[in-house]
Amino acid sequence: MGRYILRRLLQALPLLFAISVASFAILKATPGGPLAAYEGNPDFTEQDRLRLEHAFGLDRPLPIQYISWLGSFLTGDWGYGFASHQPVLLLIGERLPNTLTLMATVFVVVLLLAIPIGVTTALRQYSVFDHVVTGTTFTFLSTPTFWLGLLLIIIFGLQLRWLPLGGIQTPVAAFDLGDRLRHLILPVATISLVQVGSHVRFLRASMLETIGQDYMRTARAKGLAERVVVLRHALKNAAIPLVTVVALDIPELFVGALVTEQIFGWPGMGRLFLDAAFRSDYPVLQGILAVSSTLIVLSNLIADVAYGYLDPRIRYS
Amino acid sequence: MRRLAIALAAFGLVIAACGQPAPGAGTSAAPSATVAATASPTRGGTAIVAIWQFPATLAAHYANQTVTDIVDNGVIEGLAETNTNGDYIPTLAKSVPTLANGGAKVTSDGKLDVTWELKPGIKWSDGTPLTSADIKYTWEIWMKDPKVNNRTGFTEIASIDLPNETTAVVHYKSTYAAYPLNFSSLMPKKLLENEADISKTDYVRRPLGTGPFKITEFKTDESITLERNTNYRDPNRPYLDKIIFKSVPSSQVGLAQLKAGEVHAMWNLTEAQTPEVEKETSLSLLVVQGPTVERIELNTAQNKEYTDPNSVHPVLGDIEMRKALLYATPKQQIIDKLLFGKAKPGSSPVSQGWAAYKEPQEGYDPAKANAVLDKAGWVKGSDGIRSKGGVRASLTYATTTGDQLRERVQQVLVEEWKAIGVEVKIQNQPSSVVLSGSCTGKDPRKLGTFDLLMYASTPSIDPHSTILPRYHSKQIPTQADCSGQNYTRFKDPEADKAIEEAGGTLDIEKRKAAYAKVMKALNDAYVIIWMYDRANIDARVTGLQGLEGNVWRRFTWNIQDWWLKK
Repeated sequence: MGRYILRRLLQALPLLFAISVASFAILKATPGGPLAAYEGNPDFTEQDRLRLEHAFGLDRPLPIQYISWLGSFLTGDWGYGFASHQPVLLLIGERLPNTLTLMATVFVVVLLLAIPIGVTTALRQYSVFDHVVTGTTFTFLSTPTFWLGLLLIIIFGLQLRWLPLGGIQTPVAAFDLGDRLRHLILPVATISLVQVGSHVRFLRASMLETIGQDYMRTARAKGLAERVVVLRHALKNAAIPLVTVVALDIPELFVGALVTEQIFGWPGMGRLFLDAAFRSDYPVLQGILAVSSTLIVLSNLIADVAYGYLDPRIRYS
Repeated sequence: MRRLAIALAAFGLVIAACGQPAPGAGTSAAPSATVAATASPTRGGTAIVAIWQFPATLAAHYANQTVTDIVDNGVIEGLAETNTNGDYIPTLAKSVPTLANGGAKVTSDGKLDVTWELKPGIKWSDGTPLTSADIKYTWEIWMKDPKVNNRTGFTEIASIDLPNETTAVVHYKSTYAAYPLNFSSLMPKKLLENEADISKTDYVRRPLGTGPFKITEFKTDESITLERNTNYRDPNRPYLDKIIFKSVPSSQVGLAQLKAGEVHAMWNLTEAQTPEVEKETSLSLLVVQGPTVERIELNTAQNKEYTDPNSVHPVLGDIEMRKALLYATPKQQIIDKLLFGKAKPGSSPVSQGWAAYKEPQEGYDPAKANAVLDKAGWVKGSDGIRSKGGVRASLTYATTTGDQLRERVQQVLVEEWKAIGVEVKIQNQPSSVVLSGSCTGKDPRKLGTFDLLMYASTPSIDPHSTILPRYHSKQIPTQADCSGQNYTRFKDPEADKAIEEAGGTLDIEKRKAAYAKVMKALNDAYVIIWMYDRANIDARVTGLQGLEGNVWRRFTWNIQDWWLKK
């Protein structure tokens, strides 16, 4: 197992390198650029443009720009944002706790909802409950988050005035847990409603498959209580594929939710990325893309390893 | 249900009701809310201002966002500023040096010396005294730091002498006419002089100033808190204890929070949002005609990459065609219907200030447009589109993508122009391309790869830095020198001469006459359709008082005078 993990890690290196080259190339191929934002100023001259290009290192040949970025990135210097002049690591560090708060809450809420609902729908296949759940989950699965988010804002924020319209806390007040929770509800609901749907579908299918297995009949024949049969024998086996899906959600914990953060004015990673994208703020974009691609590669590995650990039938070679 | 509909509309899910006329449409768009000093101001309180963009930095010498000014107006000051008439008024200086009061002198070799006297006893908000050394330091930083946004004015300075603690004599290399606003954001020498790179210090988020407030908290993408500067020179100001700039996800959410009383003011509304504010008695609008002019520029040279300035556009090269397009442009209707009457028809690139040129372009008259084209030999084909000598009157029309207002204006104009037999195809691109301002960024204006291009531009307070780069024939961008901004490829020797004359004198009357000549020549050549002068629109709850419009500055410019009605 140790050798397998080591080999996968080594394989990941060229992959990550290729991803970073590709993302750098795509960013540079995008028309416009970080200096476009200055153009609105009537006092901004061609000399200013050339000076800033030089100050930001944009006048060097592309391969040199990439190599110098990669060199400092690997030594822990992620550069400075063009617009904010702040270190990229600091910018990410500021947003990360907010995104973790949001996405970890989503993560927990989704699992707490998806597991019982998924199990119940499978056990009561074709019951009214099952049909309602199936209908609802498909509805949310096919709902775009930007629409759902706005709808929730309109209903609970604007019309009923139960919940704040956005942001992470009321700015005037000191830290207040209740206030923070109230600000969490709508964005968490927006992302969760969509994600619960997919997890429920997944667990339902996998449970249905397990329930029909011979060992289930054996367990019942041994006289085990139905609760034990369902939780220990059925769910434990059915949850194996779910672990993979959940492991693949890990990058989202750090990268955040682009659309939802934007709609709710949530000061997280997704919004940082979007702002940086609009400004062609290359150092910030490169930093976030490096983090997210590394996490995706790692979480794939975690999923594979966890899968083998939970299911002894899987052998690595 | 109404609220739901409004919210949906403004969130862009439903097209906002653009068909219904706005209240007061077509009437003057002059400031509708100025100081109504009915009650005397009271001290204290916290005002919350919604901002739907968040400043990346608050350091004035790095910033390139309007929202930075909104916040900095409460913190950073300069030697002088502009009132709404465009007149210079002293801020930290005792008076604005002029030729008349002897503060500004033209030397025998035609250069300019300006003597600034600081008001006595002024302190930075950390308690250290403001001295003339800070003036010199500000110039040095602007010239030294490679990341400053621009060096306008500072490049014209040869040296600065400091005869004493409160006096600075600025020696310009030329007769730099816009000198009064050169030092509009002073920087603290004592705090920063030992920093190798200011961009890497806390100053970029918490700049130190002499203004009525100081920044006490900067929470990225959340809020910026300003508290009373106890060292402020006026013991009776500011009235407010605290101002919080609160980030809101969109201007529509900002408006909803304003209506709910969660914020006291909000920055930057669209014209389409104004009817919603006007309906609420608890809210008030601040509509200030700004100097920004939306225009459609007509390319008179061939539409191709690095176009030859002397080539002739097959369709737009004909002045009669350009005239016809102007005659078929219903500016006032567009303003009334799409901008809710909150703008004025444009007439020139300089609509405000001492050099303003307000002679209107000819009005909407499609019959005249048709007549002009008929006479010029543009004959309508079977599909209703004109052609002349085998050249079809077919043009492309570009603007920035994702701008609802501009897209609606385009729809109107495509129909109007089709009706006079000119086919126009919309070909929009992201603003980061269309307005990139560089040849490498593929700006079609720079390359010459456009027929009609619609965008807005704001003139500098001194008109020369607008008129020279944009309308002198030597300023046509080419592959060899991409720096010019004469995008229509306008060439007029008389205009060139007038621009050069204006640049060579400090005599305001002479300069004004020369610029007027240029702008008249420009309009007589029909190369630009001045669509409308756009207003800056902000909103407040009526309990927040003391706000005053200023054409040249953003609405927080007199934030020290703001107060909350108890």
